[in-house]
Amino acid sequence: MTVALSPTPVLETDRLVLRAPAARDWAHWRDFFLSARGQWIRPEGTPTEEAAWRGWAGVIGHWVLRGWGPFVITTQQSDRGLGLVGPWAPINWPEFEIAWSIWAPEHEGRGIMAEAARLARDHAFRILGWQTAVSYIDPENTRSVALARRLGATPDAAAPFPGTPPITVYRHPKPEDLA
Amino acid sequence: MTDGVFHIPVIETERLVLRAPRESDFKTFADFYGSERARFVGGPTTPELAWRILAMETGHWLLRGYGRWIVEEKATGLTAGMVGLFNPEGWPEIELGWDLFNGFEGRGFATEAGRAVRAHAYEAMGLPTLISVIKPGNTASMAVAERLGAIREGVFQHERQGPMQVWRHPAPAALKAGAA
Repeated sequence: MTVALSPTPVLETDRLVLRAPAARDWAHWRDFFLSARGQWIRPEGTPTEEAAWRGWAGVIGHWVLRGWGPFVITTQQSDRGLGLVGPWAPINWPEFEIAWSIWAPEHEGRGIMAEAARLARDHAFRILGWQTAVSYIDPENTRSVALARRLGATPDAAAPFPGTPPITVYRHPKPEDLA
Repeated sequence: MTDGVFHIPVIETERLVLRAPRESDFKTFADFYGSERARFVGGPTTPELAWRILAMETGHWLLRGYGRWIVEEKATGLTAGMVGLFNPEGWPEIELGWDLFNGFEGRGFATEAGRAVRAHAYEAMGLPTLISVIKPGNTASMAVAERLGAIREGVFQHERQGPMQVWRHPAPAALKAGAA
């Protein structure tokens, strides 16, 4: 007798393919986690490979425990993971979040994340049935702030956030306002 | 679509069922990780961190192809512990690890589940050897290791938890010859 962990959908645009996180993404995630770019998503202190591995296992486990989770961004040309985007809500997260990370600087500046985040947000609203979504962003993470604004999200000063300040809660437009 | 689909075998023993972790195990898991009993396995921790540990244990299966099962007591259907093969980045080699959740200790469940997992590891997976990593002072866990015929052989320096004892299990041939 066997049991299945969660089957996962694949989301596509003409350019991008969003799929489940997998073992083959480990090295790219690790390099990101250990780089300066990883500072926005990892615990404080000196990052270690051990923590990176447990973090990646946790991303995969999120899918199993919740039945949904963030997608790895790939392209129609290559299965290589470029980043992570989508639904994120470990236990006691104040609200359901659309989270994102581009793993290497050379993949920025081409609109990949905006395209991927719209696709993942649309999935959360249409398929998962979310009524609202937020993104939790350190105000010093200016690229991420710019992306949130580009997606139409605006600061919600009254909303609670996880972790220690400063964190701005960006609230996305409601599903009916995106239609 | 096969991405994200992974099959975890179910193992049955006389009193226990070993199965994949799921979110409904979380409360029992968090109660254990929040208690003093978790002091030998990185706790006590907040529920938030316990959830991430449970997610990590689950993701371990997809990253390694093996991992730790939730132990369910057949008679009650209750979530009783977590036993299985553990080998995250930075671990010395594949470990047979066991945690019994609060209220399930003292009934031989870790030994029963550990023996079944070890048989699975040797016979179904073909592993040649196994260790168990035990924090100094965890006498209950050492007693399980002894009952399973494991022998203390050295120390592993864990980057967060400090020195940990390494116990070596009998090899497959020794077990066939009748050890433990």
